[in-house]
Amino acid sequence: MSGTPDLALLALLSDGRWHSGEALGQALGKSRAAVWKGISALRQLGVDIEAATGRGYRWAQPVELLDPERIRARLSSGTLSMLASLEVLASCDSTSARLQAAPAPEPGCIHACLAEYQTGGRGRRGRRWLSPPAAGLCLSVGWSFVQPPPGLAGLGLAAGVIALEAMEASGARGLSLKWPNDILGPGGGKLAGILVDLRGESGGPLAAVIGLGVNLSLPPALVDGLAAEANARLAGTPEALLAPAVPLRNELAARLLDGFAAGLDRFARSGFAAFADRWRGRDALSGQPVRVILPSGEWEGIARGIDADGALLLERDGELASVLAGDVSLRVRG
Amino acid sequence: MDIRKVKKLIELLEESGIAEIEIKEGEEAVRISRYPAGALPTMPAPVMPVVQAPAPAAAPQAAAEAPEEPAGHRVTSPMVGTYYEASAPGAAPFVQVGSEVQVGDTLCIIEAMKMMNQIESDVAGRVKAVLVGNGEAVEFGQPLFIIG
Repeated sequence: MSGTPDLALLALLSDGRWHSGEALGQALGKSRAAVWKGISALRQLGVDIEAATGRGYRWAQPVELLDPERIRARLSSGTLSMLASLEVLASCDSTSARLQAAPAPEPGCIHACLAEYQTGGRGRRGRRWLSPPAAGLCLSVGWSFVQPPPGLAGLGLAAGVIALEAMEASGARGLSLKWPNDILGPGGGKLAGILVDLRGESGGPLAAVIGLGVNLSLPPALVDGLAAEANARLAGTPEALLAPAVPLRNELAARLLDGFAAGLDRFARSGFAAFADRWRGRDALSGQPVRVILPSGEWEGIARGIDADGALLLERDGELASVLAGDVSLRVRG
Repeated sequence: MDIRKVKKLIELLEESGIAEIEIKEGEEAVRISRYPAGALPTMPAPVMPVVQAPAPAAAPQAAAEAPEEPAGHRVTSPMVGTYYEASAPGAAPFVQVGSEVQVGDTLCIIEAMKMMNQIESDVAGRVKAVLVGNGEAVEFGQPLFIIG
């Protein structure tokens, strides 16, 4: 699979119209053969580009490409004052890895990194986060805590609440949260995933990077590929915000950055307490029979929401147990 | 109080794994804490990971801690979670017994609730012991490494 997608080519196709190979080549200063190679590479990465003799190429369901200026123009003044850096990359290994490798921001500031395509998007423990170029949103936010806030364990859940509310502010409806922080679409499939990386000494300053992957549109081939990947351990089919619910990507990115800027500032001051009830209001699993998978085995019980730290409460034989650690996944029994 | 005495106390504290110590000498008192006041890592100790199958879980834990620990600086877990020796399954461990580490080097990852917490070394030295196994549940304050 080839690495960096040709975003200049993708940008030319993003009007959804037919373009001849010759016209594309002229615009890019490339040969028709090079254009064809670029198109093939994009298709291999999962971009749905049609080709027709005599008409050329067409990206049938184009999306708005990310543009730092368009994102900035939509940010609140509060976010702009906190935004220490905003990077929009054509391609990178992983936006979170990139922010982790950079110096942490000053307290009170955020670093933001977005990429049209990730070659090494991560889920938990080596699982991959797959997304074709420009199909979703890969966004990471860096933040520094001067000292661990109360309820630090709930940061991942708070990030889920923040992202869900930002997606709603962009027009998405019917979203819910699956413990600890998967965002589910109206059909119950996974719409977005969040992974938080923390680094620091206990009790001292902490650098946090929150990585978010959102599915905006998924070509059928990728859905099949994911289903086949045993490692993906999906709870149902992944879901995407499909047209006409797909918000403009720059708009969604701006709402997410607004949400994280305000939300992380709030978390630094109030901890998870400010988010616990908002999380509970979106709990997809409360009252449902679930299976919790630990390295030592599986437990079945009824999900009973979360405690003050964000731990999952599991009712087993009339008793409540807190699930905080361990290799935990949940499956709705069916 | 003699500054050398205070320094000695700090060393004592570091070796012991005790979080805080208070010494009174006449009218003078000194309290030394490993953590800034109110900044104890916030993963509360009473919150336990979901019960492991009791019998098999107890045995390896005891076995891991039973052998006499070599002398050195103990690195403890700042949170309840799952211990991982590497960044991903199949990747090389961050450190092994015998590894030389610098201050700030990543020793392991503790995961809780989809937060991957990279534990950094707060001392430079050689890893003398790794006290937990990959994928094991760890408690708040549980010793993870001895570095000397």
